[in-house]
Amino acid sequence: MEAEVMKAELVLPTHMSFKRIQMYEKYPKGQSKVRWKQLKQIIQAENYQNFPPDDPNYVNIETPPSMHPCKRICDITGFEAPYYDPRTNLRYANADVFKLVRSLPNEYVQRYLALRKAQVVLK
Amino acid sequence: MPFISKIQRQTDYHLFPPSTPIVIDNGASYFRIGWAGESEPRVIFRNIVQRPRHKATGETVTIVGDQDTSLLRYFDCTRSGPRSAFDSNVVFQFEIMEYILDFAFDRLGASGSRIDHPILITECVCNPVYSRSKMAELLFETYGVPAVAFGVDAAFSYKYNQQRAICGKDGLAICPGFNTTHVIPFVDGEPVYKGSCRTNIGGYHVTDNLKQLLSLKYPHHMARFTWEKVEDLKMEHCYIAADYALEARLFQKGGKEAEEKTRCWQLPWVPPPTEEPPSEEELARKAAIRERQGQRLREMAEAKRSSRINELENQLHGLEFLLQQINQVQEEEIPAFLAETGYVSKQEIEATLNKVSQSLRKAKGEPKAEQAENEKADSSAAEKYPLINIPDNMLTPEQIKEKKRQIFLKTTTEGRQRAKQKRFEEEQEREKKNQQDEQKRLENPQLYLEQMHTKYKELYEKVEQRKRLKTNGGHTNGNSGGVGRGERLNPAHRERMRLLTTAAFDRGKGEDTFGAKDEDWQLYKLMSKDNDDDDDGPDEDEAELARVCSRLQEIDPAFVPKPEVTTTQATASEVPRARQLTKEDFQILFGVERFRCPEILFNPNLVGVDQAGLDEMTGVSIRRLGYKDGALEDRLTSSVFMTGGCSLFPGINERLEAGIRMLRPCGSPIKVVRALDPVLDAWRGASAYAANYQFQQQTFTRADFYEKGEDWLRRYQLRYTL
Repeated sequence: MEAEVMKAELVLPTHMSFKRIQMYEKYPKGQSKVRWKQLKQIIQAENYQNFPPDDPNYVNIETPPSMHPCKRICDITGFEAPYYDPRTNLRYANADVFKLVRSLPNEYVQRYLALRKAQVVLK
Repeated sequence: MPFISKIQRQTDYHLFPPSTPIVIDNGASYFRIGWAGESEPRVIFRNIVQRPRHKATGETVTIVGDQDTSLLRYFDCTRSGPRSAFDSNVVFQFEIMEYILDFAFDRLGASGSRIDHPILITECVCNPVYSRSKMAELLFETYGVPAVAFGVDAAFSYKYNQQRAICGKDGLAICPGFNTTHVIPFVDGEPVYKGSCRTNIGGYHVTDNLKQLLSLKYPHHMARFTWEKVEDLKMEHCYIAADYALEARLFQKGGKEAEEKTRCWQLPWVPPPTEEPPSEEELARKAAIRERQGQRLREMAEAKRSSRINELENQLHGLEFLLQQINQVQEEEIPAFLAETGYVSKQEIEATLNKVSQSLRKAKGEPKAEQAENEKADSSAAEKYPLINIPDNMLTPEQIKEKKRQIFLKTTTEGRQRAKQKRFEEEQEREKKNQQDEQKRLENPQLYLEQMHTKYKELYEKVEQRKRLKTNGGHTNGNSGGVGRGERLNPAHRERMRLLTTAAFDRGKGEDTFGAKDEDWQLYKLMSKDNDDDDDGPDEDEAELARVCSRLQEIDPAFVPKPEVTTTQATASEVPRARQLTKEDFQILFGVERFRCPEILFNPNLVGVDQAGLDEMTGVSIRRLGYKDGALEDRLTSSVFMTGGCSLFPGINERLEAGIRMLRPCGSPIKVVRALDPVLDAWRGASAYAANYQFQQQTFTRADFYEKGEDWLRRYQLRYTL
């Protein structure tokens, strides 16, 4: 390994004296076989439905949807968008932006839509 | 304020007695670790792990935190990006967590066989018990920690600032963090989680939004927008607009104020070397060279021509000589004589002679004579084609063949003649029209120009319309200029596809009679791709358009013909290749983006998160508390406390105050304060908390952990007031 890398101690040593179980003992193949539970699975396994609903838990402290009407802004420019293009589903502020919207290749349209999670998802 | 990592290894670990707790603020973006009672964390680094391969040795190594990027060149990072132990704000990947803790303890200078200090570590509000128990297990089992306590970062920050009289004992802690934003109400100095709420939006989303927007706006510089750079840009330039709509309108209108608010990031750009116009001598030299080269070419061509003429003349002489000889020999001896020369008959020799003399004439450059001859011959067609008018039955088979040839020749020449005539007439017609136009123009130039313009416009529209119809098959979007994005095939294509599918699915159904009739085979002709070219040359409108266009270009210097069609529009937004890139092409402008991206904190809807934003969350929180106690609610709103990285945006206080004012009854006291240091106060609060002698009672040991079980751990909660 290069001298400057060694000097900066960039790489984490594999053996730590203060650990009771070393990494290589736990994961002999370099990486764990276990697939860690994703947050969704964790929440499912927590079985929150078995607890009284007024006990705060990870799920029920989520904020409800907003009471205000959703603000519509132009996907391209960020100005207020009174219109939307039914072909691309993009919101736009004025005729100039509309021209741009129509000239966009589909990939870019989808990326703009993905910004507000409105893109077409193929399953 | 850019965050600065501190990863120097500490040397005074052994000076601390085992009773001194280690305090960890395990945030989703930054990890901070230090000693209880101190005012600054000892080690700070980004909470990420990379596992690249070392290029020289090929072994997979672990790199924790944000290291010097210049050193990363020894590693192959292409296959593993930086990874985080967090999913949203919950730790789920404990393997990564372990690497991070390894690194943190190592840099804190840990030695000995285990970590012999109690640990206070932060977690999110209402952390799932799975995550909490895994974390406790990791600390107890792997590091041999004697005791552990879990607390909420925002609460520590609130308590820290409460002790410094920034906020009261009743209040609302608003913590826009990296992945999520929390509002936690405090009553009597204790957090009430029942009234807290969480929106899954935070600094990560702001940066991501800005990154995406910029790379969409400047596709050429996409590689420039690394996560770290965008994060820096966000912290430097972004602010919260007091009123989004007003601010956006300001930019929409443009003007001086908008210009002032637009920031510019100049990418490194080196002006291309300016080409000096070549000097006189240079030009002369070049011209001379060109002239010399031309001369050489001309000479070469001349030599070639003369050699060919020579050759042809020789051939001609030979043939003539041969003919003379043939004339001298007897009739019977001709075949024998000719056998030596390779010719079969006298006629053949004559034909060859004819051909050679023609080529010679051509080579000598007298083709005109031949053509003139042709024309002359035309006038006397009857003499040239003597056989045409004689009926077939009077001719020998040889003559019939000759007649057919003559007929063919005659029709082709006539056709050529006709075409010429037509062209000539057209030319005259155009000339006449132009003359008329000229006259009109001289009468009233202004009116004429206008008329031409309107005519041009009309024709242009007409031609465009036809083209659109052809490509879009009738789907025109008013006059918006359907550019054909997502349009169906044109009618010809569609018909062809229909034929293909019917042909494909017809087979094997009933009796196959295909091919019995001759018309059946026409199908293939229709199907073939060549069938598509249905346009029959440029039509009248197009020709007229071209004429008007050229005319306008002549008389109106300001006239610019419209770009050909549609396809050019798609590329219009991109930088044309031919143009020299200028300094402006390397400027990244932030206008609306400056407040558009942080706006998602107040309107998560903008990025498709269907939850209420910061201002509304306070209302939700107060409602959830459900005290129905006006005085308490007033106390809460008069101590709205902001902490967390995202509260650093300028203007957030004012905006939040305005938002809360809208929710609360008229005249309610509202005061929004920001933490002394929104980023580090959580750790400082935790440090002060752990330094308290009563801290021991809040921790639990390994024995507690295994005895009391999961249900106890679920309800485990610190008392923040000691």
